[in-house]
Amino acid sequence: MSSSASTSKAAESSKDTEPKNDAQAHLGVLEEDDEFEEFPVADWKDSDTDLAHLSGAAPGSAKSGGDKLWEDNWDDDDIEDEFSVQLRNELEKTKGASTATARMEH
Amino acid sequence: MDFSTFLLQLNDAITSENGPNLAYLLRPTSPHGKDLVKEFRHHTRESMSRYNGAMQSPWDEIAIQYVLVCAHIAKKRYIDAFKEDSQLVVLFLRFFTENRGWTLPALFSILRDLRDLALDADVHAKYHNQKSDCMEESARIITKAFGSCVTDRTSPPDQSRKWGVYYVVGLILKCYFKIKRISLSKNILRALDANTDIPRLQLYPRSHQVTYRYYIGMISFLNEEFAKSEEELTLAFYNCYVNAHSNQERILAYLIPLRILKGHLPSKELLTRFPVLYELFSPFIDAIRTGNLKAYDAALDKWEPRLLELNLWLSLEKARELCVRCLFRKVWVASEKATRIPISLFHAGLTISGDDVSMEEAECLVANMIFKGYIRGYISHERQMVVLASTNAFPRVADRPNALANI
Repeated sequence: MSSSASTSKAAESSKDTEPKNDAQAHLGVLEEDDEFEEFPVADWKDSDTDLAHLSGAAPGSAKSGGDKLWEDNWDDDDIEDEFSVQLRNELEKTKGASTATARMEH
Repeated sequence: MDFSTFLLQLNDAITSENGPNLAYLLRPTSPHGKDLVKEFRHHTRESMSRYNGAMQSPWDEIAIQYVLVCAHIAKKRYIDAFKEDSQLVVLFLRFFTENRGWTLPALFSILRDLRDLALDADVHAKYHNQKSDCMEESARIITKAFGSCVTDRTSPPDQSRKWGVYYVVGLILKCYFKIKRISLSKNILRALDANTDIPRLQLYPRSHQVTYRYYIGMISFLNEEFAKSEEELTLAFYNCYVNAHSNQERILAYLIPLRILKGHLPSKELLTRFPVLYELFSPFIDAIRTGNLKAYDAALDKWEPRLLELNLWLSLEKARELCVRCLFRKVWVASEKATRIPISLFHAGLTISGDDVSMEEAECLVANMIFKGYIRGYISHERQMVVLASTNAFPRVADRPNALANI
């Protein structure tokens, strides 16, 4: 009996971990043991690099500096997303509660 | 190709100073390797010694070594192949030190082969439960080649063996990374630093520059010198050959977390080019953008094994503070950007995000954010109130000075 119980438990837990393993298997390309590969050619021009998209901007300077591969202006004031709505509701409650406490103290 | 033709062709390559051809002739994978193995099927080093003197020294011996290496490879005796190849390299270096830079293509090729054979030998030994340190030995031999490159004091600048310096250093670092003995890199890097009369890195072929910068960036990353790492990896990425996709991917795997810490998030345009990186990093990036600490922690949890394996755990754990900063900013926006916000509101924000902390801890987190320059303002402890600057209370993360130095 105990053995059948443990088998079912094992089956269950392996089920649980499966999707996780699957998701990480996709990352096979990026293995820890992978090497920085030998380049097929010794030298190349700017046009064969990501410098080509910069049109003179400093590499890595981000969008405001003319490098569109990186964003430096990403703060958004949108408060309609689910998380913000939940947050606002909670803040209303806390506000209400703290006002109530303040009243009680008076 | 028979042995006498092989000798003739070697001689031709040397007299015409044809480096690429010399490289081809000495490559064990070239087709003539098989021919020579057949020709000398029953020969040993001793029986081959009659060819000593068939060519000017050390080429007679190099040619014999070449046949021995090919024969061992054909019989899958990888450790023996590595040993014979080590001798070939040492003999070649005798010739190399007396010649100019035209020999570099041959040098690069034989050092690469030596390292590949060391790898085969170590893998083979490991499979048979034997101890083998061929990779470390190959690094030692390649270091000799480094010496022969930097000490060129006679060749004209454009024909100097010094043009081999960075390629050779890159190869040595690659050996140490393979056997995970990265601390051994110190010696070669110190030797490189001590030689101030070598041309600037930017003047070398891009393949040398990018490989060298990648490894320097990685060493700095592992030593938690993040500012230096970011600098080197940025240059490595932007100078990398776009068709070398997996190399670009490897650079970005470490560059992206560093850029995130700096407040520069990779754009969709960049990430879509690298689906693997998109899959790994986008949960973190989305969570930072929206201040969703719960999602951030879930991503940390989900990817923990991979992040640890890739040595990325620490940097993404540090980037969590950006997510906290954005959560606090959401609280501020939801409070209509008030200049006075009770600590209890920040506490509530953390609680919703699943971060079950006490009020004191919440206060401490806010204090930390102020200290680190994420928030401009101060805390009134008695009133349990955060007083925020009326302008720019939450400066852009990218505007934080020395972001990477103060992690």
